[in-house]
Amino acid sequence: MKKSNPWTVVFVLALFAVAMYPFFVLLASSFKHQMQIYESPWFFSSPLYPSNYGVAFRQISQPIVHSLAVTAIGVAATLIASATAAFSFARYSFPFKNALYGVIIMLLMIPGFVILVPQFISVKNMGMYNTLLGQALPPAASYTAMGVMLMRAFFEGLSRSLYEAAEMEGARDFSVFARIVLPLSKPIVATVAIMSGLQIWNNFVWSLVVTTGDKVKPVILAIMTVQGGINEGDGVKLAGYVIASLPLLILFFAATKPFVSGLTQGAVKG
Amino acid sequence: MNDYAHRTLPRRGGLLRRMWKARNAYLFLLPALLLLSAIKYYPFLTAFVESLFDWNGVNVNRFIGFANYAELLKDEKIRVAFENAFKVSLATVLINLTAPLLAALLVFRVRSPRLQNVLKVGFIVPLVVPMMVLILLWRWMYAGDTGLINQALDAVGLESLKHSWLGDSSTALGAIVFVGFPWVAGLPFLLYLAGLQNISEDLFEVASMEGATPLRRMIAVELPLLSGQIRLVLIYSLIQSFQVFEAPYAMTNGGPGISTITPSLHIYDQAFNYGRFGYASSIGVVLFAVLLVLTIALQKLIRNSDKID
Repeated sequence: MKKSNPWTVVFVLALFAVAMYPFFVLLASSFKHQMQIYESPWFFSSPLYPSNYGVAFRQISQPIVHSLAVTAIGVAATLIASATAAFSFARYSFPFKNALYGVIIMLLMIPGFVILVPQFISVKNMGMYNTLLGQALPPAASYTAMGVMLMRAFFEGLSRSLYEAAEMEGARDFSVFARIVLPLSKPIVATVAIMSGLQIWNNFVWSLVVTTGDKVKPVILAIMTVQGGINEGDGVKLAGYVIASLPLLILFFAATKPFVSGLTQGAVKG
Repeated sequence: MNDYAHRTLPRRGGLLRRMWKARNAYLFLLPALLLLSAIKYYPFLTAFVESLFDWNGVNVNRFIGFANYAELLKDEKIRVAFENAFKVSLATVLINLTAPLLAALLVFRVRSPRLQNVLKVGFIVPLVVPMMVLILLWRWMYAGDTGLINQALDAVGLESLKHSWLGDSSTALGAIVFVGFPWVAGLPFLLYLAGLQNISEDLFEVASMEGATPLRRMIAVELPLLSGQIRLVLIYSLIQSFQVFEAPYAMTNGGPGISTITPSLHIYDQAFNYGRFGYASSIGVVLFAVLLVLTIALQKLIRNSDKID
């Protein structure tokens, strides 16, 4: 029972190789000039041109800053709105509690494209067209529904005696939330942060409609127009794609566990 | 529920008094409710209203009743767009129910913990790469005579199959679905694998004591216990792929002609290229109705098949 079937291993490794190969070519070709891409497309070929990365980076450095800002604002908004609401549902009983919870969760059933146009009008009317905030808040609102659901379950699982002890000490509601509940909830905070951060960084459609020009253009839009000179050619484009993927990849390898749980939980949102 | 919480709910007192007593609870709800109602629910409600107007988003705004819907019925692009959405989501659902499931079953059978871990992380990494990067990468691989895919056909002696994959209306939609081949490294893989790892070790021991073959073990133990994940993947991929936008937008922009147009692309195009916000809203309403019906039908179907088991 302890030894794998050799055919299983062979087959799974072959599948892995086929699945990974496009990414490998992306990486290899991002170090090439155009002629090398034509002549030896399958593998790394010398000389390597790391300068492609410099050329690409100069074109998307500003958009990367925008994306970082949009993602930071969006994650912060998601966390604040989700954690406060989840705390309310987990700790209090109050009239219309179930109805209000239902209202928040119902958002999971509304497909994004159905409200694309009216949402655009609303955001524009609020003066947020072509701003960082306008890009960040709508996706943050989308992930708040999931965030409330996940955090409520987590908060309800915290020991009741904690709340009682805090109450005895005369702690106010807000300090129970900020000093006791939040510090004990780091795993779920990380999960929700990663789930929303990943989606906001990768969000294409909404940024496409709510921004124009270069003022607040995010990197996900900027990579569509990255270009190299005649010699460098597509290598620069591909280097740009790699750069745009790097921040999330680094984060993934730094925090694989919360990442995986963020990805899995996010799936439940249709 | 937290019974300690009942402290804030006195048995006596009118509704308003109870609400006043629980005012802190409402205060905590305020950020989420404000965010959702301003950015999601208000637009959602106005979507229906806007679909009854001839509206360019700026100055023209005229009530026209159901004229948008009447036009929609005659719009050739709508017919093709929904047909494409059905095709793409049928293909995506079938793909997501097989390829990643197979990969997860295989990875789960790898006995060496180190190799299994490497494979696990390896199959998850592509999920972290932005969807748009994957799409642009494949667009580049399809492109022209020197694109990687045509070069590969050359290399194995199949020059005759070389093709302008995205430029030919008979292959463009297929080429879009083909993005990400062999489709194993994605969210479904992660969900299936997580499900497999939750199955109790005892069940596998019983199966092996009874001399179950690997195939039998899959049919009798693994697949039934994954039914929750399979259901989730089914509904999730249907809703996601029916709204497919990025790939046709970046790879073909709906072309050649209108052969790869989708409902989402049509909404985008009508609103943001033609300034027809009212008409675009009416397409959104139809999309909502179709997705709702599909989801309910699918859930009914799943429930019925459960009864047969």
